[in-house]
Amino acid sequence: MSSPLTLPATTAARPRSALVAAGAALIAATYLYLVLVQPAEIAEGIGGTSSLITLLGFLGGGALLVAGILPSLSTSSLVLMPLGIALNIAIGQTAGSLGLQIYLDAIGTVLVAVLAGPAAGAATGALSNAIWGLFNPLALPFAAGAALIGLLAGTAARYGMFRRVYLAPVAGLVVGAVGGLVAAPVAAFMFGAAGTVGTNALVAAFRAVGDSLLVAATKQGLTSDTLDKLVVFTLVALLAYALPRRSRAQFPFLRRYGVLAGRTGSATGR
Amino acid sequence: MPRRRVFNPLTELLAAALLVVLVLVVNTWQFSLAVLVVAVLPGVLLSGKPRQITLAIAVTAGPLLISSFFLHGLFFPEGTTVLAEWGPARVTAEGLQFAALTGLRLAVFTGVLLTAALTVSIPELVSTLTHRRWNRRLVFVLGSAVGLLPHVAERARQITRAQQARGLVVGGSISARVRGLLMVSVPLVTGLLIDAAERTQLLEARGFSSPGPRTNYLPDTDTAGQRTARWLMAAGVLAFGCAWYAVGAGR
Repeated sequence: MSSPLTLPATTAARPRSALVAAGAALIAATYLYLVLVQPAEIAEGIGGTSSLITLLGFLGGGALLVAGILPSLSTSSLVLMPLGIALNIAIGQTAGSLGLQIYLDAIGTVLVAVLAGPAAGAATGALSNAIWGLFNPLALPFAAGAALIGLLAGTAARYGMFRRVYLAPVAGLVVGAVGGLVAAPVAAFMFGAAGTVGTNALVAAFRAVGDSLLVAATKQGLTSDTLDKLVVFTLVALLAYALPRRSRAQFPFLRRYGVLAGRTGSATGR
Repeated sequence: MPRRRVFNPLTELLAAALLVVLVLVVNTWQFSLAVLVVAVLPGVLLSGKPRQITLAIAVTAGPLLISSFFLHGLFFPEGTTVLAEWGPARVTAEGLQFAALTGLRLAVFTGVLLTAALTVSIPELVSTLTHRRWNRRLVFVLGSAVGLLPHVAERARQITRAQQARGLVVGGSISARVRGLLMVSVPLVTGLLIDAAERTQLLEARGFSSPGPRTNYLPDTDTAGQRTARWLMAAGVLAFGCAWYAVGAGR
């Protein structure tokens, strides 16, 4: 029954898979191009072309992903996203200014991914870096990597990696390794691998051994990102289990896939 | 004194983004320096808050510039002209040149985008995006996240103080630090999630997820002229980029 005074009920639309696929393909193509074609060029200085391709490819891919995902999200996931973004920026800014070897700028993304699923996580990651770019433009080109972190964290949660607190760091290690691989060309081609004091010491160490810039940045990414995501995933798992039942109850993703073990009674609930 | 806004936020942000693209396309230190002097410097001075913006640029780009200089100045295995050598560290001319080129580009990138972003009024940007019929969900997430940021920081500060009043000691051993972090972040995240749940119900009750047009209470500051100008600027930069690469390939 619908009254002429109210709007017709609507259900969340399906994700626009074509846009999502195009975004993912663009990001993958950019990454492959940068890794396979560019290393030869780096010896005589980074060309603006590779920076431009990095920026446009990763940002454009991130934008397509967000455009594909957003229409499909429920209001509760959507309201969660700004919260995750604000947490990312607030904590990431602090960690960056302390000169740590890790970034801690994905706590919000991983939290949203665990509570609301991989799609919401990916959109949070991409938008988080885009909005952070308004205060710190250096975060902007890493948007695609952040989206990937959110996607992988949500997938890990979906398949039960958060049912035990000790499994979360393992998932973090794997996700961090993938994230580090993707972030390395951005760091190398956009910023010449310069970062905070902490990450720089690592790059300098690898460069002193004679690695090329991309290889040094990749090794630094693998070191920092795995450590970073290990800490972040553990923190988020502890946080999620510390949440009161009332807060957890509002997320259908938690119930449907039994993301958290035990007290929600979710895995056996239905 | 805040400056009188001349252009719509969307126009200013697009202009900044296109300028960055131009700098990357041309990719010579002369052009980067010219943009820094001709565009960024007057932009900062006329922004109405030059000190704040200068500080923001210095804090963001400064450490990166210094570390880039040390990184490439001292460790550049590809360099051949060695100027000085201490153990594994070698100062090479190529490394210094590389550091200067990357550093200058980085300074332009940060300077242009930060100047544009810090002078943009977010409410006006959100209102413009609504008037231009951008995705409503995207506009909500943007406006809401920017609005939440100071709230999150303030709340974290309050919770830290409250826990300190209960005997939380910040610092010490690693396990004490982790416990301290959790004592602050658990109430913070729980509180924010409860707020979010309430907001979900309020938004749903007001038809947030329903289709249909929305009424915007802020006037549209965008003009047809600026809309045309935006398209022209984008087309111009695209054409210039293509021409630049065509000439470069022909050479």
